[in-house]
Amino acid sequence: MTAPPRPSLDEARSRLRELGYLDAPVERLLFRTVFAGRGGAFLPAVVIGTLAAALSAVAAIAAGEPGVAGSPRTIAAVFLHVAAADLIPAAGIAFVLSRLAERSRRPGFAATMAGFGAALLVFVLWSVGTYGLARGLSAAALLWAIPVGLAALLLASAVRLAFIAHAYAHSGALPRRANRRVFLAAAALGLLVAILLFFSRREALAAAAPQPSPRSVPMIVAAVDGLDLDGSLRPQAALALLAGGRSGWWPAERLSPPEVWTTLATGVSSRRHGVRALSRVRPRGATRAVRPPWGTVWWLRRIEPALGLAVHAPVSSADRQALSFWEVAASAGLRSLSVGWWASGDWPGAVVVDNRAILGAASGGEEADRAALERFDRERSAGFSLATVYLPGCDIERDSPARRASAAGRIVDWLAPLVDRAAHGELVLVVVAADSHPAPGAVGRVIVFDGAEPPRTVQIRPVDVDPSILARLGVPRARDLEGVPVPALFAAGTVEAATVPTYGPRVAPAGTAAPESDREYLEKLRSLGYLK
Amino acid sequence: MSRAIEEAVLSPGKRLRPLATLASAAAARSADEAALDVAAAVEYVHAASLVLDDLPSMDDAARRRGRPALHVAHGVATAELVAVALLARAFEIVAGSPRLSAAARVRVTAELSAAVGAAGCSGGQAADLAAEPASTGLDGLESIHARKTGALFVAAVRGGAIAAGAGEGTIAALTAYARNVGLAFQITDDLLDLEGDAARMGKDVGRDAHKANFATILGPDSCRRLVDELLDASVAALRPVGAARRTAVLADLARVVRERRS
Repeated sequence: MTAPPRPSLDEARSRLRELGYLDAPVERLLFRTVFAGRGGAFLPAVVIGTLAAALSAVAAIAAGEPGVAGSPRTIAAVFLHVAAADLIPAAGIAFVLSRLAERSRRPGFAATMAGFGAALLVFVLWSVGTYGLARGLSAAALLWAIPVGLAALLLASAVRLAFIAHAYAHSGALPRRANRRVFLAAAALGLLVAILLFFSRREALAAAAPQPSPRSVPMIVAAVDGLDLDGSLRPQAALALLAGGRSGWWPAERLSPPEVWTTLATGVSSRRHGVRALSRVRPRGATRAVRPPWGTVWWLRRIEPALGLAVHAPVSSADRQALSFWEVAASAGLRSLSVGWWASGDWPGAVVVDNRAILGAASGGEEADRAALERFDRERSAGFSLATVYLPGCDIERDSPARRASAAGRIVDWLAPLVDRAAHGELVLVVVAADSHPAPGAVGRVIVFDGAEPPRTVQIRPVDVDPSILARLGVPRARDLEGVPVPALFAAGTVEAATVPTYGPRVAPAGTAAPESDREYLEKLRSLGYLK
Repeated sequence: MSRAIEEAVLSPGKRLRPLATLASAAAARSADEAALDVAAAVEYVHAASLVLDDLPSMDDAARRRGRPALHVAHGVATAELVAVALLARAFEIVAGSPRLSAAARVRVTAELSAAVGAAGCSGGQAADLAAEPASTGLDGLESIHARKTGALFVAAVRGGAIAAGAGEGTIAALTAYARNVGLAFQITDDLLDLEGDAARMGKDVGRDAHKANFATILGPDSCRRLVDELLDASVAALRPVGAARRTAVLADLARVVRERRS
């Protein structure tokens, strides 16, 4: 018979604990504090929970914001700012748990569940935050799983101990010891779910540029913000002019102008293109502006700027994670011009005049439209297969019906000759009339003039506009877009039927930098009524 | 036989178990009278277990509490009969106690029965006799001693709390205390058997050297560390029971075990 190995002191201690003898030192320390009447059982849990939640937010930002991971100063600053935000909810949750602990009939089980829930919350903050900010996720994003997982485990243990101690102090009843392995199982499950989520957004490989079928007719896309064709404005001249085109419509939603127009320009929802707000935020001490992840928006966007602890930076093309139709067209070899669109920026093969160049010099809607059209007409003379302009005048003048009607009138005057040329087959004219501040029941419209086609109206989705424009240009549709071309809007047989798997991710050209702050431009947006 | 019973019960021992019963009752806010019968019954059971433990068929010990073992003084047959009589008397005291409620009488009887039976002293002694020293590890030792000595100490403490009408939380906390102290007591016993003085101990020492025990498995230094930690844990377990002054005697008992030399 072989003799059993002699246990070391540590092994003996560990085995005796498993047999129910020695208490863990942490528990004794915690219980001693509680039983001594000083209270505060949940204080360690609040501190650990605050730090764990902040770590999750930082992990999400680092995964979704290029360059942040390489800036320790930004990471440290964001961590401190978010930790300040998380302290309040952590304290609130601890208060609720303390009340539950006092009422719990099965404190051991309830404590385990509370710890489990706390760990789950950390994983949710990390996963949802990362998923919301990043379109494509690299393997490096998964490395954050290690500190986040450890923080979740530590928090679970702290919450469980605090719950037991509080219940213990209140009732005097000794709870049954819970199986701590449940936390390891929870951590493993959380990591598995996070990894599965991440692999569903694995960084896409760069795709080859789509090869367009030749089309001889150029296209002009006029994007008119605030042209309320069906609501209170109802500009008669515009209605009369546009009545001859083929129309697609969709129920309008109240969203920020960059989000509305970027969805129309990319064929995917904001969940994928990433442009939601007019600005990003830079916490004091950080060297870069960031988009706040889920759960921290209220603090970083609302409270901190009000307290002077953070500044806003305007939205830019660096925030957009999906290709716009002029970028796809340019990559496909079609000469493209874009003037005045939100979140636009330099792109190889395209002439791009960004939003700031138009709005920065304007003092009102009329000036903005005039600047956009002058720049558009000047650039367009060089000859383009695709030329697009964004006109914000009607939206800026929404509080003044007279000036708004005047702005609409000038746009009609500008469009009229283009409609005439389109009717003669010299070009394809696409007018996108959407309103980022729609009245109830308002709709967005795309009106197409493509030869002498008879008018008709169909219901479409905003995400269908981008693939429809590209298909009419002869560019094969990417199957991973959320929208599809609508052939009924164009002349028969002119819409490209071929498809490609994807256009690939949008990788900003080298040298493109997101503006970190631009007080002057933000003040301009504020004076034009975009920012309150 | 009466004299033999008297010797078995009144020989100069430490009376640790009945003291634990009374201290446990005091910690649970009870007047001593309610627990006196339980304390007496516990001591009767303990005395019976010592008589049986010393028999030639068991440990074959010649001395106990500084005196000749009972079977040496009165013969094996008398010793066996005394043990049976003491056990019977213990249950008679509890079952007939006018100070205990009916529910407490039943529950304490069950506690003592469990401590004496196969899951208690009897089973532990059988396992001890059957154990192969070379193949007995920490788990085996713990199992033997949790039943052989620990079970009665736990029953003593729980019995006091039950007699006092304590709530389940308090009883559970006192059980944790008793388990830790019981194991610390046994490890100390093994250490004293290895290093102790026979005259001071009042019994043969070194008799367990051929047996597996904590001192031989873990070594004296580790044993002393474990005893300290177990007693720390036992005192910590008392905190939910109530104010320190009410659990002071139990805490002192733990200190006695720590400083025990016999």
